[in-house]
Amino acid sequence: MPLANLPLDGPQRSRNSARWSLWLGPAALLGLAVTGQAEPAPAVLAALAVAGLGLFLNREREAEASGGAAMVVAAPDATSEPSAPFAAILDRLPDPLMVIAAEEADDLTGRRFLFANAAARELFKIQHQGALLVTAVRHPRVLEAVDEALFGAIEGVVEFETGGAQGRSWLAYARPLKETAGRSKLALLALRDETDARRSERTRADFLANASHELRTPLASLSGFIETLRGHAKDDPGARDKFLAIMLAQAERMSRLIDDLMSLSRIELNEHIAPAGRVDLSMAAIDVIDALAPQARDKGVTFDPVLPPRGGAVVDGDRDQIIQVVQNLVDNAIKYTPQDGVVRVEVFPGLAAEAAAAARDPAASRMSLLTPDHDPTERYAVLRVTDRGPGLAREHLPRLTERFYRVEGQKSGDRSGTGLGLAIVKHIMNRHRGGLTVESVQGSGATFGVYLPMAKAEGGVSPKVAATEA
Amino acid sequence: MTEHTVKSYGEELAHLTAEVTRMGGIAESQVADCIAAIARRDGPLAQAVVAGDERLDTLQSEIERKAFRLIALRQPMAVDLRHAVAALKISMSLERCGDMAKNIGKRALILTEADPMSALTRSIERMGKLVQGRLKDVLDAYTTSDLQRAIGVWSRDEEVDEHYNAIFRELLTYMMGDPRTINACTHLLFVAKNLERIGDHATNIAEIIHFELTGEELTSQRPKLDVLSH
Repeated sequence: MPLANLPLDGPQRSRNSARWSLWLGPAALLGLAVTGQAEPAPAVLAALAVAGLGLFLNREREAEASGGAAMVVAAPDATSEPSAPFAAILDRLPDPLMVIAAEEADDLTGRRFLFANAAARELFKIQHQGALLVTAVRHPRVLEAVDEALFGAIEGVVEFETGGAQGRSWLAYARPLKETAGRSKLALLALRDETDARRSERTRADFLANASHELRTPLASLSGFIETLRGHAKDDPGARDKFLAIMLAQAERMSRLIDDLMSLSRIELNEHIAPAGRVDLSMAAIDVIDALAPQARDKGVTFDPVLPPRGGAVVDGDRDQIIQVVQNLVDNAIKYTPQDGVVRVEVFPGLAAEAAAAARDPAASRMSLLTPDHDPTERYAVLRVTDRGPGLAREHLPRLTERFYRVEGQKSGDRSGTGLGLAIVKHIMNRHRGGLTVESVQGSGATFGVYLPMAKAEGGVSPKVAATEA
Repeated sequence: MTEHTVKSYGEELAHLTAEVTRMGGIAESQVADCIAAIARRDGPLAQAVVAGDERLDTLQSEIERKAFRLIALRQPMAVDLRHAVAALKISMSLERCGDMAKNIGKRALILTEADPMSALTRSIERMGKLVQGRLKDVLDAYTTSDLQRAIGVWSRDEEVDEHYNAIFRELLTYMMGDPRTINACTHLLFVAKNLERIGDHATNIAEIIHFELTGEELTSQRPKLDVLSH
């Protein structure tokens, strides 16, 4: 029976024979509620799936009898019929859940999705009905586990990762199902998101390594000065004042470092969770310029903002994080711009990804430090910050977003940074599905550009978005 | 293969694509594993990568045989012919990627015996992640017949080159600073070179996909970095 290539108009008549399976649903959900979310219990998922499948298969048998067809991969239409809460439950489970059907072990094209819930369709971009398993999941370990469940009736758990900018870690449970559909054997593939656990493990390790390494220098200098103050500088008021000032600066540096490390850890933990909220990039730029005005005035640096009017460049984003991005970039620019220089801050809305990342000066060395997953329909708003500093040599560009990377021979001045600013920018932009570029002509300054997906038209439509999409 | 079911022509073509995709999945995980072996100094994983290359070779010759068979018996035309030829060519590219991964795995085995050089292996890991992402993107483009995505991979080739150049310089600096690291650094240099070539294969696959879908070659000038000239 060609399970997969069936069109989408399932007959919705008597489903009495599927009654039993409807009872399993609430029972299984109860199980979920009792066990709590600590143990999502693949067994419960399996029970749900078996029960749900009962319903699907029933429909299908019926469909075949009436010469019609059943719905397979597409979303169950839970709207019309009150007696179909089951398909909706399966469909809305937060974990990806798939049922795979296959006839022969050596026939790759035979392994198709009999069912995939919304989470699975979203994750693997399963677009059409009866899609081949291998077009969605290529990971050899997962395929092997599914094969073992299908043809060896062996349960298996494997770990795998889906790549991309915001890579995620998964545990895949493959379970054989006793039900069959025609000549096909069935297996359940349930995924559980392990990204959080993996990430917090790694972040903790990174934090410890970075903190212990980077705090050692200022700490050593502090204890050195304390020794001196207790020793021969005890009665020298001049030296004491000088040393105390240095110690204060070192202590401040340590506290800045810890702040930055903490904020980087926080951002990394949430990197795979898309931000909620909207931010007007122009407004964010104005806020940052206002906030940094005193610092710029001290150095005699002026701003040259080129911004669209309010509402012209609204992006999806977390306001605090976007402000942090703009602030880090403008702060850097002020640091490297010489006395009486100009820092240019520009915002351009409504560009395609290529245009947003494009170089402006063909003579400059240019580098994409972060590129979002390709989506030709997405429109971006770009923010560029240009300084008139010494610029950067080409070989430094790819490493700029590394933690604690410092360009050699560069005087970082009295207000030395922590070496984490651009790493923070990069991680925030990655969370926002945005991009980060740098271009520089040595000797005449550098431009850092960030671009973010524009907020989709909804409620308050931004006129620029409408115009570019029209 | 046991041919007790008569397959339709379309199914046979779909089967070929599925085989190539499966092979892509294995190549992808080989590349991921060999990078992890370098980064984590994981000897057993490196050994598994070296041993796993054989599967790719077998799959490749199987795909080759099936593609030839299909071309000979079905005499496909136009887009069908391009499908068959694309499957053949992509499988060859993937097989080469597997060879590079195997080579990296061998070097990882040697490197686990040397002193750790975490700054360098982190750079390698970063470049590896980038290359891995390109391979994933291009295989996604292949399975979904997404022309735009393929072009996207094709036009972003220079990022890998930049990373390669940066690592090249970094390694030179290390070796000049401390001649005792020359042995390990040379291995890392080849690892970087192999990664760069895997990136080139991803670009190559993007070109094949473009031809498969449109029947035209991607010819316009790609932003190409003049390697080692600066």
